[in-house]
Amino acid sequence: MRKLFALAIVLVAATVAFAAPAKMAWYVSAPHPYFDAVRLGVEAFEKDYGVTIKKQVGPDWNMDSENTGVLALAADGYNFFSVYPSDASAANGLYDEIVKKGGKVVNFGASTFEPTPASFAVMTDVKAAAMKAAEFLIGKMGGKGTMVNLLEVLEDPNTKLRKDGVAEVLKKYPNVKMIEVAGVKSEQEAAEKIEGAVASNGGFVNGILCTGFVPTMALSKFLTDYEMKSKKHIFGVGIDDDPVILGAISQGYLDATIAQNTFGHGYLSMLALKYLSEGMKPTAGKYKVDSGVVLVTKANVSTYKADLTKVTQAIKADLPKIYLTK
Amino acid sequence: MSEQDKGGIAGLLRAFTRRTDASAIVATTVLFVLFSLGTQNFLTPFNQFNVWRAASQNVFIALGQALVVIVGGMNLSLGAIGGLTVVVIGHSIEILGIEPWIAVILGLATGVLCGLFNGFFISRFKLNSFVVTLASSFIFQGLVNGISQGRPYSKIPREFTRLGKGDVLGVPNMVFLMCFALVVVYLAFRYSLLGRKLLATGGNAEAARLSGIKTGRMLLLANTLSGLFASIAACLWISRMGTAQPATGGDWLIVSFAVTVIGGTALSGGTISALGFLFSGLLMALLRNGLIMLGVNVYFESTFLGCIILLAVLVEWLRAGVAGKSRRL
Repeated sequence: MRKLFALAIVLVAATVAFAAPAKMAWYVSAPHPYFDAVRLGVEAFEKDYGVTIKKQVGPDWNMDSENTGVLALAADGYNFFSVYPSDASAANGLYDEIVKKGGKVVNFGASTFEPTPASFAVMTDVKAAAMKAAEFLIGKMGGKGTMVNLLEVLEDPNTKLRKDGVAEVLKKYPNVKMIEVAGVKSEQEAAEKIEGAVASNGGFVNGILCTGFVPTMALSKFLTDYEMKSKKHIFGVGIDDDPVILGAISQGYLDATIAQNTFGHGYLSMLALKYLSEGMKPTAGKYKVDSGVVLVTKANVSTYKADLTKVTQAIKADLPKIYLTK
Repeated sequence: MSEQDKGGIAGLLRAFTRRTDASAIVATTVLFVLFSLGTQNFLTPFNQFNVWRAASQNVFIALGQALVVIVGGMNLSLGAIGGLTVVVIGHSIEILGIEPWIAVILGLATGVLCGLFNGFFISRFKLNSFVVTLASSFIFQGLVNGISQGRPYSKIPREFTRLGKGDVLGVPNMVFLMCFALVVVYLAFRYSLLGRKLLATGGNAEAARLSGIKTGRMLLLANTLSGLFASIAACLWISRMGTAQPATGGDWLIVSFAVTVIGGTALSGGTISALGFLFSGLLMALLRNGLIMLGVNVYFESTFLGCIILLAVLVEWLRAGVAGKSRRL
């Protein structure tokens, strides 16, 4: 009996020792305006719930750096991570090690390849967003003409989804010819490719679609310069809501942009982690949390943020009811 | 303290300062102590496992660079060879359904062929290694993108990850492999005729040629071995991550040169130190890990790295001066 009692004490002590307190961390690959916007959501979460989140910015977009950074935080006692996966495939290897150590990971901004050890991916449905942007652009073009689709690097799984989304919309419009340009890594490269596509088609380009942040920045500047010089308007739709992009919309050079719920990416991923740390479990089949988007045009450029806040509030209420179970 | 003891310690110090890897050993030891004292969890088994595993990866990447640096060259295509190896292995396993062990052989053969390609143009046409490997890096990178279409290969068998993720008594398997490789490097360059010929080619190619060494063959061999080590590093990366990513190797160039230079391999060729590799590989891993644990702003990580490389080169310059002076005395 005494032996059993001693064994029970040892077991309880071991359980207490191994049940590490929840320490939450937010890890991003590198300095980027997108992450600055997401950070606002993380900071709002800290304020609302009175917790402190370790916010770590990595030096580059390499998986090696992400491995080193996240594992160093794990060694320092952090066990609940909100991470932007630098590599959708290789990040699963990192997450495996975190989960085996008793931790939890929530992706934000992009998903890792499934099956994945991550509990959730709080992200924009990039394919749906690209389809929405393409529909709007083709509508502006009157359902006919030539459009340029400028894509970012093909290694990014989101690029493939965006490419597929635009192709799907295009099937409905046989009178629209598409020129696809891919592999854009920098704004300079994007600017050169846009200029090249417009120049090589001798003024027959009616619309330009950019589904990545970097090309959209280049597009905003290109369309502004182009219209000021030539007095001709090429329809343009982009993604994200940098002040440069919003400025081009306000002045009428860019027709629209898809605003992602970056605040929600930060806030909701941390909230999901909080619920996980309290013992709740992910609901089967609810891995992806669509954070929603808003189409921003000249009409709603000053009010669209309120729409995104409504989306965040709705998902916040849904998280413990739909996405998690006790 | 007796005069004999003083002479003994002074003698040891003099011998130490003559080593080309002295600055790497001192810098790494100092950093290790600083991080151990400055952070609570630096010495935990979990953290040490990760640090040493990253150090092993660094050493294999750098060996690929060092083997051409010792003959007075460089390999700018190192990362692209790594990327191509990864794609060949991933494509062979996932798309062609080839057995993993055969895929690894194909991957290693890819590295050897790429190295031979570089070595052929450098030795046969006496072209500058910078230009040749710059051109070949585009060729290999194009093949990486063309074959993979940017798509990672994720159907890597779990057994494949035993080497990269596994351990023996808490020591990562990769560390054992690194130690084995470093012992081989030490023995090869210390005791084998081939190793001495490679060093002689880098030290003074003309003198080596006049003394009967076929320097062209040495250049070919060094480049082939460089390709082989790049492909070994690529295999280890797949094993560690459990996936084969075409983006592999994109950041190898800086690591390879940093570890090589800090480890005491002269960029002008002719010297190499296995111990230097061990310490400089560890230094790079420590730097990334320790800065995060110390809560230092990693926005400036590259700045710290650059400063440490510059400091290592300066210390090496000072050391060489002191060693030369003591020899003259």
